[in-house]
Amino acid sequence: MSYYFTILSPTDVPLFNIAFGTSKGGGDGIARFRFPDTAQYMNQFIIHSSLDILEEAQWTNGGMYLKHIDTYPPAAAYITAFLTPSGARFLLLHQPPQLPASSSGTGSGLGSSSLLGTAGSTTRASSSSVAANPTSPQTEEAVRQFMNEVYESYVKTAMSPFYKQGMEIRSPVFRTRVTAAGKKWL
Amino acid sequence: MTSPGDAAPVRPPPSLSPGVARGASKTRYADEHESTSLDADLAESQVASSPTPSLGATADLPIRSASPHSHSVRSSATPQLARSSLGSPFDVRFDSSEDVRTLIIRSFSPTIAIYASEDTDELVKNKGFQGGFWELIRPFGETISGKVVIRDSIGSSHAWEDYGVHFVDLKGFGRTPAGRDSPSAQMEEVLEKQLDSADSSLGGAGRPRDILGLPATTSLSKLFLRQLLSTMPEAPHETFRHPVASVIAISSRNPAPLETLRQLYADSSSGDRRLPDWVNQEYLRYYVLVHDEERDDITESSKLYDQMKRHFGLHCHLLRLRSSQCVVTDDDSVQVPQCEWLSPSERLSGVGKAGKSSDHKTLVDLGTDGTPYVFESDATAIRIFVRELVAQSVIPFMENRVAVWNDQVASRRRGISGRFMSMSRRWAGFGSSSRSGITGSSGGGGNYDSTHQFYRPEAPEAILRKLADFAFMLRDWKLSASTYEIIRSDFGNDKAWKYHAGAHEMCALSMLLNPMAMSAKIKLDSIDQMFETACYSYLTRCSDGTHALRCLSLAVELLKSRGGSATESAARWAMRVMDFGLAGSVAQILFMERIAACYATKTPAGGARWGSRHRKAGMWSLLAADQWLKVGKPTLASACLEEAERMYAPVLANDGVFPMPEMQTFVDNLRHTVKVEYLEARGLNTRDEPAAADPLGTEETSEKLDKRNHRRSLIGLPAQLDAGVLNMTQGPRDLEQPPNDDFERA
Repeated sequence: MSYYFTILSPTDVPLFNIAFGTSKGGGDGIARFRFPDTAQYMNQFIIHSSLDILEEAQWTNGGMYLKHIDTYPPAAAYITAFLTPSGARFLLLHQPPQLPASSSGTGSGLGSSSLLGTAGSTTRASSSSVAANPTSPQTEEAVRQFMNEVYESYVKTAMSPFYKQGMEIRSPVFRTRVTAAGKKWL
Repeated sequence: MTSPGDAAPVRPPPSLSPGVARGASKTRYADEHESTSLDADLAESQVASSPTPSLGATADLPIRSASPHSHSVRSSATPQLARSSLGSPFDVRFDSSEDVRTLIIRSFSPTIAIYASEDTDELVKNKGFQGGFWELIRPFGETISGKVVIRDSIGSSHAWEDYGVHFVDLKGFGRTPAGRDSPSAQMEEVLEKQLDSADSSLGGAGRPRDILGLPATTSLSKLFLRQLLSTMPEAPHETFRHPVASVIAISSRNPAPLETLRQLYADSSSGDRRLPDWVNQEYLRYYVLVHDEERDDITESSKLYDQMKRHFGLHCHLLRLRSSQCVVTDDDSVQVPQCEWLSPSERLSGVGKAGKSSDHKTLVDLGTDGTPYVFESDATAIRIFVRELVAQSVIPFMENRVAVWNDQVASRRRGISGRFMSMSRRWAGFGSSSRSGITGSSGGGGNYDSTHQFYRPEAPEAILRKLADFAFMLRDWKLSASTYEIIRSDFGNDKAWKYHAGAHEMCALSMLLNPMAMSAKIKLDSIDQMFETACYSYLTRCSDGTHALRCLSLAVELLKSRGGSATESAARWAMRVMDFGLAGSVAQILFMERIAACYATKTPAGGARWGSRHRKAGMWSLLAADQWLKVGKPTLASACLEEAERMYAPVLANDGVFPMPEMQTFVDNLRHTVKVEYLEARGLNTRDEPAAADPLGTEETSEKLDKRNHRRSLIGLPAQLDAGVLNMTQGPRDLEQPPNDDFERA
């Protein structure tokens, strides 16, 4: 699993970005997205496009944790969202690891299939481990714990006298805390 | 119902000089051959789908290029695609979705086989139609003049303006020559050809089409859909391409007319022209006597025709044609309409279209510009013939069959007892014992011939499928949906997977097409499930990519036209198509555009701010633009880019600046590359830029350009000034503007 975590301000400005990989099951905590290095912008595109769904889901779901709200099938990217009272949104993109066999799936299409990632259906095959199945209840629970922990640190950071609402979060302490939470839960 | 006197008044007396006006030069028209047909296809769909934007674009360009000071109009990716003032994209889209629906409905029209005697083909060949009688009347079947009234199973009548039939050649039926490529590869080739032709016309300034950037893509996807729908070969598992009727034609030149008719009938029912075993042989026979107006005596023909009527009953027609060839310069010449449903292979080999290459020119030294001409009297006669054939014979025949089958076969399965029957068959425990005894040995499947993989045409399953297909073609979607519903599980039990897939596909399609169900909330889930099953059966069990592609493309278009939450599942299916790798590379990009279009049609519910999918639509448009650029089509890329800008406009708070830095860089780069390549493609010499820019008072100068990573491509362009003169005044200026400006315009 690779993760891309973003905090967006109410006006959709990113306050904080971090990409990390899973630490469970012998993972080394380094993100390996399916996009080539030249196409890392796709993460932001996917997150940005899921705001459409988020805007809808926040009115239909009572909780702060909205669970899995959106999927980008071509790259098997799953978006989970968390709302904060100040209007900032936490968005987590998670992408199961690519199976070696699955790469032949869309290769015949166009040269861009690398950009779009490969078939999402193949991921279901590897659902044995908890983290590899993004829609399982265990994963949702793990993400909830992660989100809650990040929320705590976020509140503390936002209360800092040197932080103004809407500013980018540059605090290294916050970053280490998020990384730690990621290591702990995801 | 058919008497020779009926149609007589409309026919002018035959010309006494068959060879008149043979002097028209062929060279004069020769070079226009290729372009006209392609233009026609493009123009036709544009006119049909979106008159507004094409108007807007045409009106826009001259104004913009004439007034270089229009700084206030913020530039889009390319100069002439800005038509902010005219034509909202949403109108267009809703129009065209209705249009696509009609296209789909019309593609599922009855097939009529043509079987003409040698002498008839000879007569028609003299008129310049090398394919014989079939080629002559084929274009006229595609739209039948006037309304066609169809009674559905409940007995209510419906008048359809756009009914049509497909004429096929009986000689070629079921013997499709093994193509060199798979259908999808051929489709790809057609698309590429169309793209290239659009490109080459872009090179020359002043062609009407190069200002129609955006409609070109929508017409492309329509072309793709049309290709897909007309590519379907005759197959046992669906009867849309099986003949509903067959026209047996002889001419007045025939020395032994009645014997020939008998011979032709025997050929087609038992002889070597017999259709394959899986085709139901009980189709309507229709007899046509083609009368040669110029050589033969009408009284003789009338006598013969009366005789035919006595022998064969009502299904006869006397078609009066002139045997000489018609040329453009003739007074009453009309162009034969374009064939709408050409399969990709025909399109590639150039059948039925302009410039029919060597044989056409050598055999016929006449100056038609590719598409043949006929006399107006002939055209009228053929139209009347086709109308009579369809409205008075084929439709009543189909209605009759539907009623009979519905009564005799389907009703037995509909009631409670029918359920029991199918259950008993399934478990083979009781009832129908005779059958279950045999089936045990033959390995499953009651009536299913698993070695040849088809049902005998008289098996109830095959008849039910035919009933459903007939109902579908008669546009009685309620009946067809319920019939497909009955049989779809049967096919699964028999492990007739292609039938299984087809029944699921058509069941879902009829549900989506049924206008009654449009208002009622039918469960999208069940439809999705059916598409899922169909696609699984086609792909995994039969590995039939073409049918799966057709199924999913239709699913996308029809779900999209339903609007609401269905558009999202349309987008999902389109992504599945890309996932499966069913489409070729150009088609893949078209599907990206379709996804964008699907998301774009999703509108906020009840005036709320949320519920639209602008960001998703924008993203897919941008991705499509990127892909177009990769295949070297900057014009299409810029159209997509503009679409993306329009989509993003309402959701980006900060005047078109993306909040996310990496997105912003990507979009900036894309925008820039599109501009550069676009100008390059138009043959603009960008080196003249400073000279052109200075008089306009542009404040930014060339140092801005040095920062761009594509500077290299700006140097060393061919100096084709002539093409670029018109646009030079505005082109460089657009290049100069900072890219961020583009998004301000809504």
